[in-house]
Amino acid sequence: MSLVNLAHVCSHLQNASQARLGLTSIPVSKLHVNLMLGLQREGFLSSVTLGSTVPPKPYILQTTVDPAQHEKLAQTLADAPWAAYSPEPSENLPGIDAHLHELSVPQNPARRRLWLGLKYWNNEPVLKHMKLISKPTRRVWLTGEDLSKITRTRPSSYVKGLTHPGECMFLTTDRGILEARECVERRLGGMALCRIWG
Amino acid sequence: MSVCRPARCLLSAGFLPKPQATPKRSLHASTIRPARRRRPHYPSIKAEDLKLLNQAAETQFPSYDKSETNILSKRYTPSQIAAIKAAETAIDAKDLLTQSQLRTDPWRLPYADDLSEVDPITDQPEKLSPEDIPGPHAFRDNNDVERDAAIARVTNEQLAKFYPDGIPDGELSPEEERKLHEAMDAAFMQATLDPRTSFHSSNPRTVAALADPRHSIVAPSLPRIENRMVRQTRRLSSEEEEDPRQKRLLQYLDWDKKKLRSIRVKTLVVHGVTNQTRMGKIRSMYYLTIAGNQDGLLGVGEGKSVEPDEGRKQSVMAAIRNMRPVPRYENRTTFGDLEWKVGATKVQLMARPPGFGLRTQHLIFELARAAGLQDLAARTPRSRNKMNVIKATWEALCNQKLPDEIARARGKKLVDVRKVYYGGSVH
Repeated sequence: MSLVNLAHVCSHLQNASQARLGLTSIPVSKLHVNLMLGLQREGFLSSVTLGSTVPPKPYILQTTVDPAQHEKLAQTLADAPWAAYSPEPSENLPGIDAHLHELSVPQNPARRRLWLGLKYWNNEPVLKHMKLISKPTRRVWLTGEDLSKITRTRPSSYVKGLTHPGECMFLTTDRGILEARECVERRLGGMALCRIWG
Repeated sequence: MSVCRPARCLLSAGFLPKPQATPKRSLHASTIRPARRRRPHYPSIKAEDLKLLNQAAETQFPSYDKSETNILSKRYTPSQIAAIKAAETAIDAKDLLTQSQLRTDPWRLPYADDLSEVDPITDQPEKLSPEDIPGPHAFRDNNDVERDAAIARVTNEQLAKFYPDGIPDGELSPEEERKLHEAMDAAFMQATLDPRTSFHSSNPRTVAALADPRHSIVAPSLPRIENRMVRQTRRLSSEEEEDPRQKRLLQYLDWDKKKLRSIRVKTLVVHGVTNQTRMGKIRSMYYLTIAGNQDGLLGVGEGKSVEPDEGRKQSVMAAIRNMRPVPRYENRTTFGDLEWKVGATKVQLMARPPGFGLRTQHLIFELARAAGLQDLAARTPRSRNKMNVIKATWEALCNQKLPDEIARARGKKLVDVRKVYYGGSVH
């Protein structure tokens, strides 16, 4: 549970957004993975992929497809979008093959990196600000009641409310890393990790 | 007794005989200087010129005939008339023609005028004084009987002006009947307003003087000149002065003047700026104005000129031209908290619940009011430079992130819980 690394991640994602990068990598840890998945669930990231120090090839570019086949593939996906995620190759999807989805994860854990796809809309990054709440020197624990207030823009327990439009706060709870509103639904409390907006 | 006789010099001029004056012969070709200077008082006039001169004198300065002299007796006293006649006989009309000159002194009239007629525009009207009214001057207010009689008299007088040939009687057409009634009403109205009907005096001339414009201190109204030039240049008092810059702006925006007047414009920053040139320091006035329609449009404009009015007008036009839409949550506040920085000036704007009001500094207050925001809180933690505060607030308000856009960007549904779940309640 290293908040120092989380601080680095926050800074890095802000910088990457500013530089308008498409893909960035962060070190792999349970915290990072769960947090990034949470971010993806909220819509801040487009993809979260485990890879090596080299960026993974984008899914679409892993094989060149014949234009006619490409059209057919597009039509099939339009009708059944869930087919893109099926592990088994099927006759309906000639262009997609599971074994082509290359995942070269190194054996050495130190060489593993988590690759994140960043999003941009209307010339603005979707993930613009990412700020730590609990710091390595001071941890912030919030109850369910505190979170009820915070999600309704009121400050509680020395933590400011979520006042920016579409602001999210992630906490680490017994049930894993959840967003503040999810915690309020489940009436959970936990340690506040970071707040994200923009 | 010794009587001294003054010694008279024998050499003095009186006693000695004068020597005989010898005739001197003139040795000069032309006349000597003293003789040359001796000119006649009047230059010699030729006989033909004399005839023409006589004719001109007759036409320009004719002698009075009997009827004209009778008129003179009405104006002047007999002694005055005698003096006038004596002067006229003494002065020869021919001399007036030959000797009179045009005035060149600075106090002359700039136009040719013999001043015999009173010009209603240039000259002050002739006014009479109370001394010109013969008889006693005392007058008092009218009683009802006298007033009625006076009104009747004056009404008849006024009606006579409408119908100088007499009032038409007998069978009248409805048109004529209507006109007669209108004339009678107008004459009656004029009579009631006439001062002659309000006052009574034993001397009728006193009462007549009340209505006489020559006795009145009120100057008569100027005559209405009618010619093509005057008609072309005549301007209605309701017509406003046309500003070509404003006209162009309205054309560009496709607005009418009424809409322009509904825009709230306020000049927030005014200060002098100096430009150092070869010629020296040139001082200009800088203006920063905001313009808003109080319903979601806000613009900020700057203007600078040596003349203050010019700079201000420039800034107003620029502000109106730069108006941009400002998104508002429930048309009263911003969408969430905003933060913007211009230079060293950071501005933080916070959304507030309904009824909160604009609790901000004066510059942000004006901007919010012009934009149509009603609930807002603001902070300027760093520099409070007026210009930059205004610019930062404007940028922040115009570049808000809408929940709609955020939803599209993230691919998630964003719901206004306050509206949907809590029914718009705040607490």
